[in-house]
Amino acid sequence: MGKSNLGEFEELVLLTVMILQKEAYILKIKDELLAQAKRKSAMGALHVTLSRLEEKGFLTSDMAGATKERGGRRKRIYELTAAGKSILSEIHETRNSMWRQIPNFALKLVHV
Amino acid sequence: MSDSNAATFSIRLIRKLCKPELAEEIEGNLLEYHSMLKEQGASFFFIRYWYEVFNYLRPSLLKLFKHKHKGAMFIFNPKVAFRNLLKYRATTSINLFGFIIGLTSVIFLYFYLENELSYDAFHVDKDKIYRVFRTSFDGNGDPYPVAPTSGPYAPALMNDFPETVKETNRVIMERGLVTFGSKSFYEEDLIFADANFFTFFSFPLKVGNPSTVLSGANDVVISQNIAKKYFGDDDPVGKVLQIDNEYSYTVSGVFDNFPDKSHLQFDMVFSIELFKSFQWFKRWFNHGLCTYIKVNTPAEARYLESQFPGFMDKYMGEEFKKVGTRWELSLESLEELYFNDIQYEFDEIKHGNWTNILTLGGIALAILFIACFNYINLSIAQSHKRAKEVGVRKVLGVYKSRLVFQFIGESILIVSLSILISVALSELLKVQFNEYFDLQVIFNWQDVKILVFLLCLFVFVVFTSGLYPAMLLSSFDPLKVLKTGKPVFGKNIFVRKGLVILQFSVSIFLIIATSLIYFQLNFIKNRDLGFDQEAILIVESNNSLIDENYQVFKDLLNADPLVKNVTSASGEPGGFHDNAPMEVAGILEPVRMHSVFSDIAYLETFDISVVAGRAFNADIVSDRTSAMMINESAVRSMGLTPEEAIGRKVKEPFRQLERTIIGVFQDYHFEGLKSEISPLTIVAWEEDTRVFAVKLDATDLRAAVQVVEDAYDQAAPNFPMRSRFLDDSIAEQYLEEKKQAKIFTGFATLSILLACMGVFGLAAFSAQQRQKELGIRKVLGATINQVILIISREFLILVSVASLVAIPFSWYFIDYWLENFAYRISILNNWPVFLIGGVVTTMIAFLTIGLKTYKTAAGNPTEIIRYE
Repeated sequence: MGKSNLGEFEELVLLTVMILQKEAYILKIKDELLAQAKRKSAMGALHVTLSRLEEKGFLTSDMAGATKERGGRRKRIYELTAAGKSILSEIHETRNSMWRQIPNFALKLVHV
Repeated sequence: MSDSNAATFSIRLIRKLCKPELAEEIEGNLLEYHSMLKEQGASFFFIRYWYEVFNYLRPSLLKLFKHKHKGAMFIFNPKVAFRNLLKYRATTSINLFGFIIGLTSVIFLYFYLENELSYDAFHVDKDKIYRVFRTSFDGNGDPYPVAPTSGPYAPALMNDFPETVKETNRVIMERGLVTFGSKSFYEEDLIFADANFFTFFSFPLKVGNPSTVLSGANDVVISQNIAKKYFGDDDPVGKVLQIDNEYSYTVSGVFDNFPDKSHLQFDMVFSIELFKSFQWFKRWFNHGLCTYIKVNTPAEARYLESQFPGFMDKYMGEEFKKVGTRWELSLESLEELYFNDIQYEFDEIKHGNWTNILTLGGIALAILFIACFNYINLSIAQSHKRAKEVGVRKVLGVYKSRLVFQFIGESILIVSLSILISVALSELLKVQFNEYFDLQVIFNWQDVKILVFLLCLFVFVVFTSGLYPAMLLSSFDPLKVLKTGKPVFGKNIFVRKGLVILQFSVSIFLIIATSLIYFQLNFIKNRDLGFDQEAILIVESNNSLIDENYQVFKDLLNADPLVKNVTSASGEPGGFHDNAPMEVAGILEPVRMHSVFSDIAYLETFDISVVAGRAFNADIVSDRTSAMMINESAVRSMGLTPEEAIGRKVKEPFRQLERTIIGVFQDYHFEGLKSEISPLTIVAWEEDTRVFAVKLDATDLRAAVQVVEDAYDQAAPNFPMRSRFLDDSIAEQYLEEKKQAKIFTGFATLSILLACMGVFGLAAFSAQQRQKELGIRKVLGATINQVILIISREFLILVSVASLVAIPFSWYFIDYWLENFAYRISILNNWPVFLIGGVVTTMIAFLTIGLKTYKTAAGNPTEIIRYE
């Protein structure tokens, strides 16, 4: 697939999964996205994104952690793969380096 | 639905629809979300929960969409379908055009049928109301039905069968001059009815109580239109209307302009009381009204019919013996009334025409089928272009069923587009439709029925046109197709040819039928009817004043040089003729004859020649009191020679006249050309004058008509004159046939247009497919004409076969149609029509094909052969 591009929402989702660590399943991701990034998303829609990220090789998932509220059903816990982690840090670095190159006065203008 | 129910239900839904491997997770998520929302006591709980549920129902999660061959194909790909439709523009437009025409015809027909079938459907007791009609017997003892009955029937039926006959109603149809103040109009649709009219039938009343509105002897109920016409915006109730400047009626109610889907057509309903004072109303013999009865069940109606012979004997037995004939009574239910194709004598109610509906329906369906066949043929023809596509898709692992869906999807796309356009088109053209076919069809789109109908139509058309090509295209063997680049055709070549033959058969049938109908109409128009019909003005004698002053009127007219002749009579040729069994001296059986009662100028005015004996003579006074003349047909039915007939005495039973035959006049078509000339007598008796016939100077008709109007105004002031020209009213007899001719011409043109478009598409395909062959032929020395001929040949053969198929059908149909006419053209003598139908169609087809193939044939062969 060559060098994969990551969409903005996909990037947010990956970050959320990283933050949540062992608690990264769909309901929590949904809540976290709303709390952190003010992004509303239905579980069905989120599922599609998550599957796509899995397909691209940035995520893996496992079924675990049945609880009473879930009627004894397990949840799908997502985890970043090495590729996922590296693309996130790659993005981070690119952005950081670009931020650093912005002249100071320009930034000030932005922050008025 | 309670909360926990919602959860269970949604879980079941997910398990049913989503992929099993995902079910556990999704269910768990939903359950957790559910309990979470509950805990929070969230607002819009229900909506938020179901929003999540529905969001899970998406293609990537559903069972229905198995990604077995990922990326290759959806179940139906609208993009591909659209692309294909755009790619083959010519074919698409032929198909669209065909479907639109076919569907528009069918939609129009639907409304026409719906309108016709809704006749009289609004009456609450429609299944209980019956009309009483009589069956009389003509001279040969053959029965014929007569619609009118007389006044005493209704009370006698009530009296004799109190158990079965619940209610009766009598309706007299009249015309008359209606006056209110300075407004005076001659109204055509007046009826006089018994007081229970508005409870017996269910015509909706706007103002007035249905059970009392006609109870007064001078009550009249009028329509809203009439109220507007005479009183404007004033309250009509209580206003007094004058009828024929003689009788006064008070408006007691107003009815809605009821849906004019009623066999009874009327603008005003008067109380029948006035007639009850007339002597003739009490006589069994004076037939002039319709009797309706209400009976609870059909079984009771049949029982009643079985009792009628005894009933007639009870009241009319003596009279029957005297007159030497009898009649029977029968019932016809209101539900059958409108479409009853019994040819009643003197029937004034509105009837539908079932044959017209069937013909129109047949033709509209035929056109729809031609359009479907075009689609099938063109799809098959195109299949070689699509073959590679099919092959590649199959190799990529697409199921056959999915290909079928794709192809049917394409026909769904084109058919739904056509239906939308057709609906818009029929709404746009409804005025023109109604005008062309002379109908008053109402297009009611709000009805649920039309939606259901359109849906059925849609499914029907998609399956007739789309299924076969879809099955065929998707059945190609991918290996062979990809190797050769061409589909391997099996027996579908016969299907294709069969469809082309069918299409052209329909077109040829319509062409032949149309021509023969026109021939017959022309034949009628040009046939000598045996009497003069040029420049004769028929003036109605429709009020008591002109009745009184008829001699004044005639004298005034006779004095004017622009008037050549005047006669007063009971009816003009083509108009009303009474019918009675007459006793002829020296003949045992009474002879049933039609009759004209007139003054002595009748024969002269209509230029009817005398064959034997003499005509009425103004100088012989006794002619007016004792003479009559008969036609040749009457002489024949008496079994005499004209000379033997002259001098015999004849008794007319109804008017109790006793006359001597003084002459025999030539047979003329007094009933039009639809029936044979039957026995007729002209009696010099002026007591029954219904019309005046005025022969005018044809050189200055306008002035002459003015003369007649002035004379009328002098003889009957304040009454408007009602008149018509004889030739016009005779032409009106064939209105129905002219309408049919129009329908046939219109649809014949459409059908041949569609069929030709289909052939055009096929020929184009054929020329393209055989490009190389034709190129080589040209290189080897074939001329352009020869090349065109090669392509045309196969189609010409098909059209010829179609002619052979069409000829017997059109023969049979026209033979059936001509049975309407006693005097008709011979089909055998017109045999060239059958040939011409085929030849014309062949020519048109040939032209179409030639036009398309010329380009291929005339092209430079090297261009074509160059590529390999």
